[in-house]
Amino acid sequence: MEKLADDKLIDLNSPPTGIQVIFREFKKDKLAMFSLISLIVVIIGVFIWAWLIDQETLMRVSLRDKYAPPGDKFFLGADQGGKDILGQLVIGARNSIAIAISITLITGFIGIIIGLVCGYFSGWIDNIFMRIIDFFITIPSLMLIIVFVTIVPKYTVTVFILILSIFLWPSIARLVRSKALSESRRDYVNASKTMGTNGFFIIFKEIMPNLSSILIVELTLNFAGNVGIETGLSFLGFGLPPQTPSLGSLVSYASNPLVLKEMWWVWLPASIFILLMMLGINYVGQALRRSADAKQRLG
Amino acid sequence: MNKKLWALLAVLIAFMLVLGACNKDTEKGSEGTKTEEGTKTEEGKEEDKEKEEEPAADDSALFPLDVTNDGNAITGGTLKVAMAKDEPFQGIFSYVLYEDGYDADILAFATNSLFETDGDFLITDKGIASMEVDQASNKATIKIKEGVKWSDGEPLKIEDLIQPYLIIGHKDYTGVRYDADFQNIVGAVEYHDGKADTISGLKKVDETTLEISFNKLSPAIFSGGDGLWTYAEPSHIIKDIPVAELVENDAVRKNPVTLGAFKIDKVVPGESVQFVANEHYWKGKPKLDGVLVKVVPTSSISVAIQQGEYDIVSSFSASKMQEIKDFDNIDVLGRQELYYAYLGFKLGKYDFDKSTVVTDIEGSKMGDVKLRQAMGYAIDVEQVAEVFYNGLRERANSLIPPVFESFYDDSLEGYKYDPDKANALLDEAGYKDTNGDGVREDKAGQPLEIKFATMAGDDIAEDITQFYLQNWKDVGLNVTLTTGRTIEFNSFYDKVEADDPEIDIFMAAWGTGTNPSPAGLYSKTAQYNFSRYSSDQLEQTLTNIDSPEAFDPEYRAKEFRAWQEYMAEQAPVIPTMYRYELVPVNKRVKNWNIDYANESFSNLQDVELVSDTAVKSTK
Repeated sequence: MEKLADDKLIDLNSPPTGIQVIFREFKKDKLAMFSLISLIVVIIGVFIWAWLIDQETLMRVSLRDKYAPPGDKFFLGADQGGKDILGQLVIGARNSIAIAISITLITGFIGIIIGLVCGYFSGWIDNIFMRIIDFFITIPSLMLIIVFVTIVPKYTVTVFILILSIFLWPSIARLVRSKALSESRRDYVNASKTMGTNGFFIIFKEIMPNLSSILIVELTLNFAGNVGIETGLSFLGFGLPPQTPSLGSLVSYASNPLVLKEMWWVWLPASIFILLMMLGINYVGQALRRSADAKQRLG
Repeated sequence: MNKKLWALLAVLIAFMLVLGACNKDTEKGSEGTKTEEGTKTEEGKEEDKEKEEEPAADDSALFPLDVTNDGNAITGGTLKVAMAKDEPFQGIFSYVLYEDGYDADILAFATNSLFETDGDFLITDKGIASMEVDQASNKATIKIKEGVKWSDGEPLKIEDLIQPYLIIGHKDYTGVRYDADFQNIVGAVEYHDGKADTISGLKKVDETTLEISFNKLSPAIFSGGDGLWTYAEPSHIIKDIPVAELVENDAVRKNPVTLGAFKIDKVVPGESVQFVANEHYWKGKPKLDGVLVKVVPTSSISVAIQQGEYDIVSSFSASKMQEIKDFDNIDVLGRQELYYAYLGFKLGKYDFDKSTVVTDIEGSKMGDVKLRQAMGYAIDVEQVAEVFYNGLRERANSLIPPVFESFYDDSLEGYKYDPDKANALLDEAGYKDTNGDGVREDKAGQPLEIKFATMAGDDIAEDITQFYLQNWKDVGLNVTLTTGRTIEFNSFYDKVEADDPEIDIFMAAWGTGTNPSPAGLYSKTAQYNFSRYSSDQLEQTLTNIDSPEAFDPEYRAKEFRAWQEYMAEQAPVIPTMYRYELVPVNKRVKNWNIDYANESFSNLQDVELVSDTAVKSTK
């Protein structure tokens, strides 16, 4: 009851809440709205469709169908091993998205907690973590990821996600820490401290909600980046385990000049898919970013 | 404040220690791999490559063996050679130590070969050295020409001929050539065991004559076998280098001196080798200024050929033929290769202390001969050869490539694709699917997982591997990849040679060298016996092949046949494919010949170019 009344009150007098701002921002920006809707549709569609495909049948090598052009048997043609491109595209997209989501969530979780703790407590905790983060940021992570990928004995999608997560959390932690640092000097935090509220409560119930808009933006844009990292590594041959369909490995067929010139159906669909998905996520991310910053808002 | 600073400093120092420790660890790790690489093996045991000569096989008509381009030759110029290959090369430029076929390809430009051979791969007297064999007393006499000089101007001496024996036989020798053949030289074993300071079977008669005594002689001696070493080593340079350190020495890695047409000028490790003409070359100074050999990734080789970036391409895969067939700036030469690919089964271990194979049929997963045969019947090599290699590879039927016409026998059955037979064999052997999951269990009803190691290669390797896995799955065998993926060339052979317990079966290939005798690959003492299979009957046949009676060609052919049949029956290795070698040659090269009987590699001094700039393809 009370909550309902609150909502109404806000509607009338107070400045709009985060959700409302975001919604208004999307309503103003048709492109972002369109991107958002198509992204949701594509992601849900891909997941359902991929669930219906039997991966083992799909990845069966059938030599006679090597580079079969699009037609009756294969709607989008076949690759070098005579495997259906369309099916690989769907499962590959599902894999890329699922991996990107997992990495975003894992790195987000670790990064936000560490960032908040550092920012709130500062002092020696902050010092230790910041040195660790500095260390992670200065090492050439891409190279190390490749090394890890090659030496891990039982290499699976889960391992791949974990390896990537190890190297991707520090940037989030750093961003969150800088915001939390300024936030924790605010009066309301000091007041709360004086009242004896415990630190844990202050961090997650008081500071974090005030950073939520930045966090959402950061995570969305990270999501786009993570899709790129997965496909990029698969393109180089260090991504998903072989026999796991991936957008990156489809695109990497294009490194063969003959395929690049004459067998567009092998690499073009995957490339276009990646391009459109990245664009979509970026438009959504930008709309979110604008809504987080009052000066940039359109709506 | 001070306290805080100290704390910070302490944290920092702690971290530096951690990092320092990390550093040390990684260094150690990489060093470890390096030494392992030192004792590793190869795709091509192309020992006698330089001397290969062979009358053209029948189907060589597919491609010409030589090319001559019109136009006036320019003076000098650099011949650019591409090696189509995705890994760096090892760069061991020494005939006693090198291990893979790629290093041999590079060495071909700076060879230390003493002999030349005729159409049957038999040694002639046209080379630096000539040989006379005394069968009665088991001796060979080698005479060298006078006035032959190393590339640093030092004259070639008899000591230079003895030097390689002293290296290979040395107890610190890290390479792979101390084998049954080598022990055939009188006194080699005593020298290896440290009981003698030198090999008693090697006798310097005078400044140009060397006499070698063997325990026994066979026809293999005429093709450079039986322990005869056909290369010289510059004793004036490497005599004083400890044998154990030789493989790391600059005299092997950076600036080896040579008897060949070119000498190494600059090496970019793993990437390229720049040769310059050797003014002391005994056949006369080459007309070219130099040669550049460079590693080119297989994915970009076709474009490089199109742009005319390279004059000659070696290790070109038949699977790329489709991509270059329209180019008008090249001629494609082709010949049957001294090569077979095979499927090997691990049946034991190699005892590196005793230098002998320890076969353990009972204790190995692949011990059942029917299981091995079934795996051979189950793979559809024919389809792979046809679809991926455009018919430029064919199913092998025996362990002797067709190039050796007198020993190759096309009436041998071999293992043809026959899944029904594979199923029948597995049922018979007791590998049954007891729990109904579509996968066979072993005889005791336990899950059977066969670990398969295979090389990563060009872009089709992955698909072919999956295709074979699928073939095996179709007959109910659960075969998985060792390490979960295809393995890079160098570490693949590291693992295979070290008898990695993660490997049950593996797919590899041999460049056989010009001596058809299989002793170097399948005898009890050979490190190259990767399946670690040995039996009394096998040893007996191998001995027969290289026995004095084998001077009778009919007897030898009969024993060869017996050996091939025995290997097919026991199936410790199953030959899969023979290869047709393709060499794209740019129109800028005036003359190039890959006929085994008259290779350009034996006459590098005559190779010329007709223009300064490469010819590009208009298509």
